[in-house]
Amino acid sequence: MNARPERDSSDAELLRAVAGGDEAALASIYDQYASILLGLLLRILHSRGEAEDVLQEVFLQVWRRAGDFDESRGRGFTWLVTLARSRAIDRLRALDSRARTATASASEPSDSVSDASADTFRAEQREIVQAALAQLPDEQRRTLLLAYEEGLTQTEIAERTGQPLGTVKTRTRSGLMKLREMLRDKFEGADALF
Amino acid sequence: MTHEEHIELLPLAALGATDEREQGALDAHLAACGECQAELRSFTDTAALLALDAAPVAPRPQLRSRLLSEIKSIKQETTERAETGRDAKVVSLEEARAARRRDEPPVSSVRRPTFLYGALAASLVIAGLAVTFAITQRRENDRLQATLSQVSRQLADTRSQLDGTNTELARARFESDLLAAPDSRTADLTGTAMAQTARAKLVFSDTTGEAILVAAKLPPAPAGKAYQLWYIADGKPLPGAVFTTDGSGRGEMRSSIPLEGRRAEVFAVTLEPAGGLPAPSGEIYLKGPAS
Repeated sequence: MNARPERDSSDAELLRAVAGGDEAALASIYDQYASILLGLLLRILHSRGEAEDVLQEVFLQVWRRAGDFDESRGRGFTWLVTLARSRAIDRLRALDSRARTATASASEPSDSVSDASADTFRAEQREIVQAALAQLPDEQRRTLLLAYEEGLTQTEIAERTGQPLGTVKTRTRSGLMKLREMLRDKFEGADALF
Repeated sequence: MTHEEHIELLPLAALGATDEREQGALDAHLAACGECQAELRSFTDTAALLALDAAPVAPRPQLRSRLLSEIKSIKQETTERAETGRDAKVVSLEEARAARRRDEPPVSSVRRPTFLYGALAASLVIAGLAVTFAITQRRENDRLQATLSQVSRQLADTRSQLDGTNTELARARFESDLLAAPDSRTADLTGTAMAQTARAKLVFSDTTGEAILVAAKLPPAPAGKAYQLWYIADGKPLPGAVFTTDGSGRGEMRSSIPLEGRRAEVFAVTLEPAGGLPAPSGEIYLKGPAS
């Protein structure tokens, strides 16, 4: 995959700048990733209001905790996504325990797909991931997304789907390993988010 | 667990999908295994790419300005980081786990890949305090929220009880008014060959047509069937309301009898399809002359 942009190292640099109190650096991270993260949050929470609320929390946390980002442990993008996903799943559980019914009906279509096409590079990255996911056997993809988007443990997925625990584990493991193989040369080495 | 068994857990850990027990064992192994650390990192990077599967959605523009104005008043908690030597990691992980055991309620938050991004040694106490504070705060919120929903549930219960009581009251008043009304008329209906012991009493107001029918010892209506009242005037049956019976064969019906119905010479009850029919089709179960 050729299209890695020149700003490779810039995400880690941006995060370091944020840790140093640079507001413009935070704005820059926001401009690059807020749409992607909101898309993910909406997938998890199915509610525009909740998703935007969590998005705000995530960036406040990025501001507060950017100093915790450690390049030796993963990409900046990974750090951001992990943060967003954890927050969203926490929120999902809090909502679930209160009013499941209310949110179930509030599932909004993901409208206003942003100017994804304006950033052709990013759109391309998305296509690569989607193409890789499409190559996985259905049940592996489903299991993987259940874990990813609902934050379920393997035991919970087994209960939810009625599949044996061993099967669920194998599917998740194989799914992610295949995905890694398919994406390895396309994203590997990127210290930056992309 | 062997090294191989731990390796098998890494993709699951990268998704935060391990069970608590597995994660604990894995953390211990990770602290001492550089190969697994690298594997976990690589799986976690892959897992993060799953975020790209979702269509990007642009946040409303005012969110950005709100964020940028909010951060001006937020103090950063820049973590002082120890150099990432093996020893530092061991210490940090153990302390991280200890901190988690102390601070987190058992059901709390996502099992994120705990090895990654854990705050290192010196900062852990501060982080722990922050977490404790956040969790206390959240618990308090959750508790208030729970109390609030309990109170509103109780209120709703009370309200519906009140509604029920009011309905009962209105019904009782309706019945006593009807029975006491000077213009009220009654009809006694007796069981036919279909239900020899059955009987019913119909009371209605001649002026308003308001009516109550109470029946007893009717056989239970089969599924999809119900009893229907008929007003027979000039030998012609006019359709009335339908009713069903309880297990003891008792049935009650409140209805309004149209003007022509009030002139009926005979009242009858037949078994009909549950919704009732414009003309009788089933057997007659009860029958009686107007008084």
